[in-house]
Amino acid sequence: MTSRFFHGDSSSESSSEEEEELYGQAAAEDESEEESEEEEDDEDEDESSDDDDGKTGAARFMRDASDDSDEEDEDKVTIVKSARDKRFDELEGTIRLIENAEKISDWTAINEQYDRMNRQIPTLQRDLDGKAPKMFIKAISELETLVMEAYEKQKVTPKKMNPIAQKGLNALRQKLRKNNKEHASDIEAFRKDPDDFMKEDVVEETAPAQKKPKKKLLDAGENALDAGEDGFTMVGAGGKAMVYTPESILKHLRSIVESRGRKNTDKLEQIRIMERLLDVAVSDYQRVRVLLVLIATRFDLTSGTGSQMSQEQWKLAQQELAQLLGTLEGNKELVVVDVAEEWEDDEKQPTITAGELFKIPGTVISLVERLDDELTRVLQSIDPHTAEYVERLQDEGGLYTNIVRGMLYAERLRAEPKLDYSQDNLNRIVMRRLQHVYFKPAQVVNLLEDNTWKAVPENLDSKITPRSESRDVNHLVQTLAVYLFKHSEGILRARAMLCEIYHLALHDQYYKSRDMMLMSHLQDTINSFDVETQILFNRTLTQVGLCAFRAGLVYECQTALQDICGSQRQKELLAQGLQIQRYSQITPEQERIERQRQLPFHMHINLELLECVYLTCSMLLEIPTLAQAGSSPDLKKRVISKSYRRMLEYHERQIFTGPPENTRDHVMQASKALAAGEWKKACEFIISIKIWDLLPKSTEIKQMLERQIQEEGLRTYLFTYAPFYDTLSVDKLAGMFDLSEQKVTALVSKMIHHEELAAALDQVNSAIIFRKGVELSRLQSLALTLSDKAQGLIEANERVLEQRTQGTANAFERQGPGGRGGRGGARGGARGGRGGGAFRGRGGGGFTGGALGSAIRAQ
Amino acid sequence: MADSQPPTTSDMLDGAASNAQAPTDVAKQYNILPNLIPNLDRHLVFPLLNFLEEETPEDEDTTDITQLKYSLLQTTNMSDFIGDLYARLNGLSERPQEYAQKREQVLEKLHTFEQETETIQNLLADAEVVNNLRSDKESNMRYLKDTHGVTPQMVEQLYEFGQFQYSCGDYGSASELLYQYRILSTDNDRVNAATWGKLASDILTTNWESAMEEVNRLKESIDTRLFNNPLAQLEHRTWLIHWSLFPFFNYEPAREALTELFFSLPYINTIQVSCPWILRYLCAAVITNRSRPGNKTNFLYGNYQKQLKDLVRIVRQEQYEYNDPVTAFVKALYVDFDFAEAQKSLSQADEILRSDFFLVAAAESFLDAARHLISESYCKIHQRIDIKDLSTRLGLSSDEGEKWIVNLIRDTRVDAKIDYQAGTVIMNHPPISVYQQVIERTKGGFFRTQVLSAAVAK
Repeated sequence: MTSRFFHGDSSSESSSEEEEELYGQAAAEDESEEESEEEEDDEDEDESSDDDDGKTGAARFMRDASDDSDEEDEDKVTIVKSARDKRFDELEGTIRLIENAEKISDWTAINEQYDRMNRQIPTLQRDLDGKAPKMFIKAISELETLVMEAYEKQKVTPKKMNPIAQKGLNALRQKLRKNNKEHASDIEAFRKDPDDFMKEDVVEETAPAQKKPKKKLLDAGENALDAGEDGFTMVGAGGKAMVYTPESILKHLRSIVESRGRKNTDKLEQIRIMERLLDVAVSDYQRVRVLLVLIATRFDLTSGTGSQMSQEQWKLAQQELAQLLGTLEGNKELVVVDVAEEWEDDEKQPTITAGELFKIPGTVISLVERLDDELTRVLQSIDPHTAEYVERLQDEGGLYTNIVRGMLYAERLRAEPKLDYSQDNLNRIVMRRLQHVYFKPAQVVNLLEDNTWKAVPENLDSKITPRSESRDVNHLVQTLAVYLFKHSEGILRARAMLCEIYHLALHDQYYKSRDMMLMSHLQDTINSFDVETQILFNRTLTQVGLCAFRAGLVYECQTALQDICGSQRQKELLAQGLQIQRYSQITPEQERIERQRQLPFHMHINLELLECVYLTCSMLLEIPTLAQAGSSPDLKKRVISKSYRRMLEYHERQIFTGPPENTRDHVMQASKALAAGEWKKACEFIISIKIWDLLPKSTEIKQMLERQIQEEGLRTYLFTYAPFYDTLSVDKLAGMFDLSEQKVTALVSKMIHHEELAAALDQVNSAIIFRKGVELSRLQSLALTLSDKAQGLIEANERVLEQRTQGTANAFERQGPGGRGGRGGARGGARGGRGGGAFRGRGGGGFTGGALGSAIRAQ
Repeated sequence: MADSQPPTTSDMLDGAASNAQAPTDVAKQYNILPNLIPNLDRHLVFPLLNFLEEETPEDEDTTDITQLKYSLLQTTNMSDFIGDLYARLNGLSERPQEYAQKREQVLEKLHTFEQETETIQNLLADAEVVNNLRSDKESNMRYLKDTHGVTPQMVEQLYEFGQFQYSCGDYGSASELLYQYRILSTDNDRVNAATWGKLASDILTTNWESAMEEVNRLKESIDTRLFNNPLAQLEHRTWLIHWSLFPFFNYEPAREALTELFFSLPYINTIQVSCPWILRYLCAAVITNRSRPGNKTNFLYGNYQKQLKDLVRIVRQEQYEYNDPVTAFVKALYVDFDFAEAQKSLSQADEILRSDFFLVAAAESFLDAARHLISESYCKIHQRIDIKDLSTRLGLSSDEGEKWIVNLIRDTRVDAKIDYQAGTVIMNHPPISVYQQVIERTKGGFFRTQVLSAAVAK
């Protein structure tokens, strides 16, 4: 992985020959790797290149350094040292002074110098991540021996020491005793094997020393490279770069984990360390441990709410996750579960017995989820119309592969009887997968699935969604959803259901999706769910509505879309952008939360199309109703779509109307034309709306619309102009509206039967005969309304009483099947009406509810 | 109860699907037998298959049906009959030996059962004992145990025996045994199973009255016992709906009650969800209800209108899921107002009815009622009607048509006259006066308010 960084750095400038030589191989590999998108190869190569890197890492460094030293000989220039190096030099000087004083047993001087050294140490220690410099250890350990010897000698020999020296020795002894306790372990190590202890030190010492002059020597181009190298050096100075051995990995990891969350920790630095660690890791166990921390740290890079993960980091995280999953797939003895015991002993590697499961603490699923969330956040923040968005969106393929592999992994653990792996994790990952699939058209999902299964190793297969069955997308969505129905509950279940309905609706299976929607009973409970689920519900409802439209079911479409589109808050309800409110009362906090909820652009439902569909449906329903209502007093009673009416009124108030510009104008002008009975004009307006082309099979939809407009036009015409006709031939009407005679007869029959039209058909002459004298005077119609209301009042009273008495009111029994004469229909209707009322009331609990419920009941 | 489980043997279903030898193509196309079979008991399927066999023309091959019957009854104890079927299937002259053996075994078992249950049956036949029984089952058991030494085991044997008898085809005694068992047993699940068994026995012995009792009992037990298990409820309701088709079309008084039952919310939902084909029977029942004598009192006629309205609503809702000429007729007449189409589907529906086990008896009255419905709405919409045209619409000859119209005018007292010369009927639709409308609407108000205030005062 490190190669990437170097590659990135070096490619930004004109690279020198030397560099080509050094990194050419790695870079070439890197490039080829990036080009080949296939996950599997990528991973392999990655690993191999990493290994290469690992081997060359130290050597390269050394060579580099020696090269530099050669050059150093040629030009001697003033040495510029960093502050830290200066401090080191200072320390060195002090130690030298102590050594000198030791030779002459000048205890006072030693004591002085020792104090000075102790003052220098804390800063140096900080530079070295809390470790004392080795030469310091060496010095103090030697000093201690010396002091002990001197002390013993002094006791034995009768000759008194110089009192000042005596005093210095005593003080030094006290201080040493106190201070050396802090470094006891280091001193111990030093004493045991002074050479070995110092050996590392030597390398470490030489490296920075040799490197220093380079800065001056190299040209500007090399400087950047040097900066990269310098970062490396810093690690070296800390005494770690050179000690990346398989044995020390766990130790390093621990120190990183412990520093996590602290201030002033350089996370990039840590990541680099871990990348190195990953390279040197020898066993799967180590690799898994490093990867777990590494991926988590990468996510930590962007912990703030405002920032998003850079593509580079995200990709790396994604690849590492794939590597992690690959390792776990390869080594089935290792399992990562959240309930495992931490391995306490950093020095020793755990022994993994074959056939036994070894548990490592952590959760793969959470990492996958986090990866998903990060991408979503990135997509939320990018302008969807840029190339960058598309580029980032392409990463989804890799992500989906990871999700599927994560799912396979969770499934495997779940099947392991000994583990007691929580079902919840598996459910979550299945849900993730479902969420990546449900809103996409079949072709896209097919592609995604194909690539994924190609990337997943051959020997793996899923029980839930077998490899062989991945071809059929509907089946895939259904299986995933059904799995969740069976194994989860609450919100997850509801979400799974909604996803499936959405998918069905998207694929033009209106009845199935509607039935599922109704049977889910979610309309009743949706308000108690979290906002995300409510948004999903809204999306699903909208999609069902659009599906109804495509199926030519205007009424169903209108009722389904009513709640969303009638509210003027589509954007908010569908989480597709913030509603700009004029008198905004939203606090910044709320706004932030809302922003987080927004869906990435590729999941959006086209709002303009939605509005267009909604308005067109409203027009087809409203115009005949308006015409029917005419000027009767209960005009306002039957408002189907308030927002449509408002727009229509606004449109009618305008004095001048130009040619239509936007969708809304088109629909409004079409409405006007339709109201005047000019169906052809209305049809032209509607058809000329460009957005229909976004729908699949747009020509068929246009034909459907034309047909609907013809029919509704006929109805509107009859309602509007009936008073002016005595008879009207069916022939003529059929000609006017370009419908077949049969169709006209059927339509008129329907209207007569429903008593919408006071007319009768003359079969012999095939004409409509309008009845005269049926128009009511205002008084008459008011009287009718009043009587209706009185009846309603009685019924309401009866219902109240029935409820109060809990059905014990036998008083109603006495009423009997009223033999009070009158027209049977009406009388029976009255009684039946009451029963019917109760029946319908209960209907709410059965198959109905919500907008759709009423849509169906109303028929 | 084992025999209440529908026989879902797949080969049977396949057989039924492929071998439905209905007399005409239309009937074949809309054959719903394969849908019905899984929801019925073995023994209940048998009459259906018999009917199918009778319907099949002489010259056609009935081996398939025989095969079907054979696999259907294989697990039952009617060894003689099965043996015959087997012989017929394989062209043997007499039934194979194994069936004789089986017969022996069955008889033997019957004998043991008889012996085992002798005591308790005798007891229950004893008037004195029966007089001492009360409604409390526990105390009954205690009484029998104390005075006559009846053990719970003996009661269980009644159940076993009942099941055995049923399996043997002796439905009468099965019904009796299960009835006795139900009085004594305290095991609720088994009592319920016994109830299913008794319903089947009653149906097969055409004892409709008690069958209806059982239907009601089952309906209640489904509501109360399974209230927290919607799936089982749905399943049981589906079975009940199918089983009650037998009394539905064979027993006049049951029709009204069952129509109500089917229209009640839980059952109409069941029909919509799990067995939309039942709509055919519902349609037929509702439509034929009209022509039944003594039904034209004002109240019931209103009820009829309401049922029809409900029916139209449901047919319309379900048309995407289930469609056959009977529902198509309703749709054409009340949704599309396409009389030609209605006429077409009516003739098809007639064929369907004639080849349907349940509806064959109702075919005539269905046709009659359907014609009434057509002419009714036709008259409502039209002012002048050509008699010839109407006759063709009704599927009658011109003379018949004229007679029909005369009868119609007389029966329903519509305001119509025949213009003989022009060959037309002129309908007079007087608009309902607005005053009358207001009076109509407010008529019941006073009375209802009175009742209301009386109820409040109580």
